Amino acid sequence: MSKYRKILSLLLLVVLPLAGCAGLSGPARNLGDTVINAEETWSGTVRINGVVTVKKGGSLTILPGTKVLFVRKDIDGDGIGDAEILVEGKLIARGTVAAPIIFSSAEEKPQPADWKYLYLDFARQADIEYIISEYAYSGIQVHFCKAKIKNSVFRHNIDGVRFSTVNIEVTGNRIYGNRHGIRYEERRSRAEVSGNDIRNNKIGIFAVTRSVDKANIHHNNIVDNDDYNAKLGIDQHHDVTLRQNWWGTTSSEKIARNFFDKKQDETLGRIRAPEPLAEPVAITLPIGIEEE
Amino acid sequence: MKMRITALILLGSLLMATAAIACVGKTLVVGTTGTVQQDLMAQMISLLIQERTGTTVKIVKVDSNMAAHDALLKADLDMYVEYTGVGQVNILKKNPIADSAELYKAVKATYNEELNLIWLKPFGFEAKKLAPAGVAAEAAPVVRKDTLKKFPALARLINKLGGRIDAVVIGELETAAKTGEIKKVAREFLRSNRLI
Repeated sequence: MSKYRKILSLLLLVVLPLAGCAGLSGPARNLGDTVINAEETWSGTVRINGVVTVKKGGSLTILPGTKVLFVRKDIDGDGIGDAEILVEGKLIARGTVAAPIIFSSAEEKPQPADWKYLYLDFARQADIEYIISEYAYSGIQVHFCKAKIKNSVFRHNIDGVRFSTVNIEVTGNRIYGNRHGIRYEERRSRAEVSGNDIRNNKIGIFAVTRSVDKANIHHNNIVDNDDYNAKLGIDQHHDVTLRQNWWGTTSSEKIARNFFDKKQDETLGRIRAPEPLAEPVAITLPIGIEEE
Repeated sequence: MKMRITALILLGSLLMATAAIACVGKTLVVGTTGTVQQDLMAQMISLLIQERTGTTVKIVKVDSNMAAHDALLKADLDMYVEYTGVGQVNILKKNPIADSAELYKAVKATYNEELNLIWLKPFGFEAKKLAPAGVAAEAAPVVRKDTLKKFPALARLINKLGGRIDAVVIGELETAAKTGEIKKVAREFLRSNRLI
């Protein structure tokens, strides 16, 4: 009997880790339009084909290693996938270096805007760390709430990280391959944006409107963005200051060449970049590097 | 009194939230009848809006100017490029007006008052082949009035193209567009004119 037990134990030791590696932890969970009113936890693979709403009293915890895949469905024909997660309650999405949480398209050939967004609107609490969000209209959108977005990757979206009227920390993230790396409308926001690597987007930082220089965007690498490293929207008339960032150079003339502001349109404010850093900020985030 | 203040705060928050939601993910739709010139101008408007406001813009092909007009009235389109002569004679079924300034004034007024559609500034060129007999045919964007209300900066933005594209420029752009990628031609024009 003890011989059988030993063999069984050995088999379990070999098979269980393999099952984990091969994703045999269970079938994918499929969700259409869904309302979460209580405590809920996701793990494994979750396929979303609709709108998942975490209501005010609801709480969603997404465990490390979870894959959240959004099916492309564009019923209104606006060119943007309709699937999304809307959080009005609480969201805890804390992956780990070894097991980040992935929000991505379920399509075989994924494209930006295959799904709409991870949308925090008047959310009670939102802690986001070690996630990879890709192929969305917005990798994440945050409005009217307090949120921390740390050590994550936002890539191949229309907007990587987008916010307005918030109290937000965006730190230690890699933001690349988006149309807009960070897009924001300040509107009395308290934003602390630092330690991020924002490169190879079409536009690095897009200050759309209503910014009166309250967002503190500093100690980031904002380089090699295709069109402009920073740009002001048509209604951004106030100056915007982006102090102490790494722009790939310390020459103020060269830095300004990669800005779209008053130089191009008299009605806009000016982008100022005082005290540019002499070398890049060290970004230690070990996820989301291999495909850059 | 306290209740009133609370109610006002709640209402304000709700309005702010609604405004934010309204600007999230709203896609504008620009029509084209599919000629090189129409495709070029649709791309130019689309890029200008997208690049300067961040709003997503979709270009939709329609069969004719009349089909574009109908789609605009039904809100299937937000805007397209029309020609004053076509608007006056083919769409409004009115008498031709030879003077281009008078013609523009007339179509603009009728579209605004009777159709809730707004003619923005003419680009600066005419499409003579499209002009019904006895009228000029200045090209200009026509936009739904409610679209302009939702996007207050839009008229000011699109009007930056007003008077910038004369007969020579549109000729050069069309030639380039026939042999190259239309979107690229439109983008280069906007970049070289420091519009994006």
